[in-house]
Amino acid sequence: MSCASRFGLISLLGVACAAADLTAFPEHLRPDPFGAIVEADRNAAASATHAVELEAARGAYVSFHLTASVPEGGVYRVLVKPFPQSSRIEADVYREWFHRLAASGGYYPDALVPVRTPYSSRMPEPDNLVPQQTAQAFWVDVWVPAMTAPGVYETSAVLEAAGKTASVPIRLTVLRAMVPEEDVVAIDHNSYGSSWLAVDYPTMRQRAGAGFYSSDDYFRLIQAYYRIFYEHRGVFHNLGYGHAGKVAPEYAPRLEGSGKAKHIADWNLYDRHFGPLLDGSAFASTRRGARPIPYVYLPINPEWPASMLAWGEPGYEREFVNVVSGMEKHFREKGWTSTRFELFFNHKKRYKGFPWDGDEVRFARDYAYFTEYARLMRLAVPEDTPVKFRFRADVSWTMERQFKELAGVINFWVCGGGMFGWYLDQSPELKARGDTVWIYGGTPPMTSPASDVTVEVLRTWVWGVDGFVRWQTTAAGGDPWFKSDGGGETFLYSGDRFGIAGPVASLRLKLERNAVQDLTLLDTFKRSKGTGTLRAEAARRFNGTLAEDWHAPRPKLADTNPEDWNNADIGDAIPNNPKFGRGLDAAAWQRVHEYVLGLAREVQ
Amino acid sequence: MRMVLFFVAATALCAQDLDRVAQVASVMVDGDVCRRIQTPKSAESLLKVDPRDPWRASDDFDVNDGAFLQTKKTLMRLARLCPAACDVNLWMPVPATPPRVQILIRNVNEMSQFWRWGDLHQAMPEEMKSVIEKGERVTVRRRPGMVSVLAPVYDSLGDIVGLVEVVSRAERDSHENVK
Repeated sequence: MSCASRFGLISLLGVACAAADLTAFPEHLRPDPFGAIVEADRNAAASATHAVELEAARGAYVSFHLTASVPEGGVYRVLVKPFPQSSRIEADVYREWFHRLAASGGYYPDALVPVRTPYSSRMPEPDNLVPQQTAQAFWVDVWVPAMTAPGVYETSAVLEAAGKTASVPIRLTVLRAMVPEEDVVAIDHNSYGSSWLAVDYPTMRQRAGAGFYSSDDYFRLIQAYYRIFYEHRGVFHNLGYGHAGKVAPEYAPRLEGSGKAKHIADWNLYDRHFGPLLDGSAFASTRRGARPIPYVYLPINPEWPASMLAWGEPGYEREFVNVVSGMEKHFREKGWTSTRFELFFNHKKRYKGFPWDGDEVRFARDYAYFTEYARLMRLAVPEDTPVKFRFRADVSWTMERQFKELAGVINFWVCGGGMFGWYLDQSPELKARGDTVWIYGGTPPMTSPASDVTVEVLRTWVWGVDGFVRWQTTAAGGDPWFKSDGGGETFLYSGDRFGIAGPVASLRLKLERNAVQDLTLLDTFKRSKGTGTLRAEAARRFNGTLAEDWHAPRPKLADTNPEDWNNADIGDAIPNNPKFGRGLDAAAWQRVHEYVLGLAREVQ
Repeated sequence: MRMVLFFVAATALCAQDLDRVAQVASVMVDGDVCRRIQTPKSAESLLKVDPRDPWRASDDFDVNDGAFLQTKKTLMRLARLCPAACDVNLWMPVPATPPRVQILIRNVNEMSQFWRWGDLHQAMPEEMKSVIEKGERVTVRRRPGMVSVLAPVYDSLGDIVGLVEVVSRAERDSHENVK
């Protein structure tokens, strides 16, 4: 019996308790500040329990919510007792912040503030400012290391409030099955520049003054963003240049000279920024261990390292080749040979910096620029370099044509997720020639059902592509705490207001991580069950679909000129299956999780 | 007090330098080429509002890269005449009532006192209107620490077809608009 169903069996069928009480919810049922479930998750059948029964593979997290209900208000204290030390199982506890939504005035939990238990506070929580708050939720992450012996482990959580003590027993069954360290899909989280860090971390900004962007604190901060995504089985990308070619100083080596004299003068800021990421030392303190980041953007753009002033002339080639060959040499000498360094053009002509689109190319004559940069890269980088350079293109309008005409030029495709469904049959060919294939899309807001953050994770695996990018994951908005826009462009929040010099995770990021973990384990059964069977069953359990429901038939539109399309045409041509929208229930992933656990129990 | 005097003197000097560059720009920037930068199809779409597709004009935005590059290179050379980091941006009127304008070429320092990040086109500021109507250069200090000189761009008929913004700032922001 799985976590979810056990939660259901011990249901209280209602949580409106008159006295202080401690209850638990499965991870997909997000509590509100009044002891109920948030509206978006209410269509999932389950409710609060007075006991937690968990089951987990090794090398994995298993999670649940604890809710301290203190209707009479006042001081309370929550303790999550440790598991036996010999088990090496650890429980991380986070206070769930209730974001007030600007649009509706309602509250949803999302930011997770790390706390140590016993945690003492008052109801209502003094800083969250929820009027008439009666319940405080805590997310509990239980980490089961790979070396933990299979078996049953027990502990408990305790609430003390108003002279009463309430206890919730926690029973964890650790399976023999092990979640592989390497994820079956790369789930990427994108971001742009770093000026937002100065806004999100006013304490640090003020302390560092004018030297903020070159301070050790700043580099530690930006590395903390990579680290938190890594710890959540994710990838982080951070672009360091703008649409007119401006490169922030710490994203590139400093250059001097021009024409044939242009050269790299100084690696100091770049190495302080990227060195610990590229050698993996920035991750030494994590449970996953020190590992170099798998991907990183290069600062190369039409204005860097070569100046557009020389475009089309010998000087452009000389500047480009001099500097890029110097970069290859530096990376090689540093031993940074496992990260993929991405030549990636993000600019669009609508921003008026350059005369061609680097991102989401719509006009076919722009392809020639990509071909030219591939030629320049071949000149700059020795054929036998151990440094991994990839030429990435984020494609939408004309992806089908680009697959053909830029074969051998682009080898890392990041494709608009909706449209790529039309061309899914081309994925095997792209992969067969050695190209990496990702898809991209957005970040579901906190007001969507809890399972929404897992849709694209599952789609990536069902489609058999290599990864998925959420295009913006660090823009929390002007006031994410009391006037939240729903968080549709963030998975992290600044820890500044809590005295934390780094980001705090969102609940949605935790749900995404647990899904990646499940899929990674599920994929290990492909030899015994067959990939097709696993995909079909995962899709069926997720939302009652067949694997083919995840594909999009090629529309007539695809055979017309993309220069004549608009977004409405594209929207009309992408199937609108309600099972992926309004029909999605919060427990969708929980059913996949149960399927994975069922298979995992068979592992001897 | 001495610091204030120094800043005023530095600003005045800067404006004088920018004015000299703007004067040269009026001679060197070819208005006929500027008019050929945006493709006719893109220009036609620029002001259209599609209720089903709010991004249509942006997605349709397109330029002739030859004309764009020729002009951009000229603007970049002009910027090298500035004693401190500056950008020389190209602005072109957009036929509309009331009048509108679009920045058509921006440059690497991301400086402008007029462009709001991401705007495809915008209401024509009074200062620009004045330049286009009178053909005289105008010095603008709208944003603290920034100075712009606006100067007309002429075509071969002697008509003013656009304008340049020569712009610099007292303190560079190496992270602004890196996004």
